[in-house]
Amino acid sequence: MAALLHAPYCADQATQRTVTVLENVRLARDTYRVRFGFPELARRITPGQFLMLRLAGGADPLLGRPLALYDAVHDPLAAQESPPPSTAQTSMSSQSPTAFQSPVASQSPVEGQAQTSFPSSASSSPAPNAVDVVYLVKGRMTSRLMHYLPGQTLDVWGPLGNGFPPQETDHLVMVAGGIGQTPFLALAAEHLGLRRYGEPARQVPRVKRVTFCYGARSAGYLAAVEDFERLGVEVKIATDDGSRGRRGFVTELLRETLAEAGTVGSRPRVVCCGPEAMMERAAAIAAEFAAPCQVSLETPMACGIGICFTCVAKVRDDQGGWDYKRTCVEGPIFDAERIEW
Amino acid sequence: MSITAPPCNLSVQLGRLKLANPILVASGTFGYAREMESLVQLRKLGGILPKTVTRFPRAGNAPWRTVETAAGLLNSIGLDNDGVDEFIRGHMPYLATLETPVIVSVAGKTADEFVELARLLDPVPGVAGLELNVSCPNVSGGIDFGADPAACERVVASVRQVTQLPVLAKLTPNVTRIADVARGAEAGGADAICLINTVLGMAVDWRRRRPLLGNVVGGLSGPAIKPIALRCVHQVAAAVKTPLVGIGGISNLDDVMEFLVTGASAIQVGTANYFDPSLSERLVDALPGALAEAGVASVVDLVGTLRRNG
Repeated sequence: MAALLHAPYCADQATQRTVTVLENVRLARDTYRVRFGFPELARRITPGQFLMLRLAGGADPLLGRPLALYDAVHDPLAAQESPPPSTAQTSMSSQSPTAFQSPVASQSPVEGQAQTSFPSSASSSPAPNAVDVVYLVKGRMTSRLMHYLPGQTLDVWGPLGNGFPPQETDHLVMVAGGIGQTPFLALAAEHLGLRRYGEPARQVPRVKRVTFCYGARSAGYLAAVEDFERLGVEVKIATDDGSRGRRGFVTELLRETLAEAGTVGSRPRVVCCGPEAMMERAAAIAAEFAAPCQVSLETPMACGIGICFTCVAKVRDDQGGWDYKRTCVEGPIFDAERIEW
Repeated sequence: MSITAPPCNLSVQLGRLKLANPILVASGTFGYAREMESLVQLRKLGGILPKTVTRFPRAGNAPWRTVETAAGLLNSIGLDNDGVDEFIRGHMPYLATLETPVIVSVAGKTADEFVELARLLDPVPGVAGLELNVSCPNVSGGIDFGADPAACERVVASVRQVTQLPVLAKLTPNVTRIADVARGAEAGGADAICLINTVLGMAVDWRRRRPLLGNVVGGLSGPAIKPIALRCVHQVAAAVKTPLVGIGGISNLDDVMEFLVTGASAIQVGTANYFDPSLSERLVDALPGALAEAGVASVVDLVGTLRRNG
């Protein structure tokens, strides 16, 4: 039945902090990138891991939300900032119901020009001290977060989850549906040898080619495509309405990419994040081409740290049975062939 | 903010169980403690209650297992656990290394199963006490012991006979007169009575015309149920002499103080561990300041000091 907890499955590098928003910029329709200072998290987190983010001081929404690492960056603003006192010491008492909403929070953040920049050599960069996450506005938390301004505070804990293991391949194929693109920028940068992540910085094999198959409802939802192009990633786009790129499913772009890879004799690996139906389809296509495939599951979570047993997914074991695995600590990255869709 | 408070005594006595401070973490909201060791200094806590253990493994209920509601969380996990043998083999060696007392939460389908769990756990190093989960709403059988004073007395007394470990009984609020059930627990010889487990509830998606939880109904926890828990502590404190442990929506220091004043000798942080994982440790740090503000030198001096109106 349920597997034992083993050390790697615990949130063993996680810390919790009240952090200050440095930027909160719109990237695309309903899509924003928020940056906050959190040096320990920025140094430790690796691609495919996530963090929990909560609007401090209120009970609505009550729970934090899991958000994948977009990038860990060095931001001079985070360096100048003295660490804010933890919510713990300053506001242990219950707060007024409106306390968490700043009076200026109703202004929309300006369209941002801030760039994620990649140094030419992984070793020359200063240690990251801030974290970027990209979010889609779709619920009670994100519809408030989009109005947050620099200087406001959030509660954050992480890094969480297993993250992507190093990808041993000459051709990494990343497949994303909608906001599922967020784990892939850092993964691509790392495997192209442009960045390193983790403490100590982990070694990953250098990948010759990275293809990013990116599907969205329409052109307006495509976020930060230029961030990927700047890295030298080959970007292939599909939209439901054909307003940019191919009209139709992103999984068809995957099929073409794998078919082409077969003709040149490369051995691609596939990583995938997005709606479950899309990931199931992508996994089936990867299996057709005998390409190893990993998926990042987005099972609803309550705690993100392995203690509530909410986010379970059916994962097959070696004996042919299945068990509920906690996506937050035993995932979110799983081998696609193990998932009982 | 640095808190300077005069030296004060945080220790509390729950029957035969002595705790260094009254801040515990509730079963089912703290995993097996190991998940939390980077987020919480476990040795600071008054006590740790790992996720409820059953005699045999349980896969748990089908998703969705939790739904967030207004200031609350509805859950129907279904006691997903590996069974007591695996718990003793896989989790107790780690838990036994902690300086903090570990109170093992157990749930049986029958009184005999509770007794067997107690027998199996009694000799295991590191087990400081047992909490009888006679109140889980998500498994058949569990809630009956907590709904019937005589059945509650019987199960507590049966466990009492096979172990010298402190025995705590965790009760459900889903009854008409919780004080009656508490009297049963007291008559059975409980060292402490824990109030409350979750409140039965439901969430629905009207557009799809479906219940949101895989198990249809579940237990509500979080700040939404704190008034219910306080009411239960108040009623039970008037009915029994057994020490009480308050549980239900505790999310900050004011909540802790409210439960202590109302009559709880200790408290358990539950759902707040999910949305503020380091809270329990910070509560221990901040408690002396609040005791100073209340003008008492010890937790014991504060417990049950609620005044009457008028």
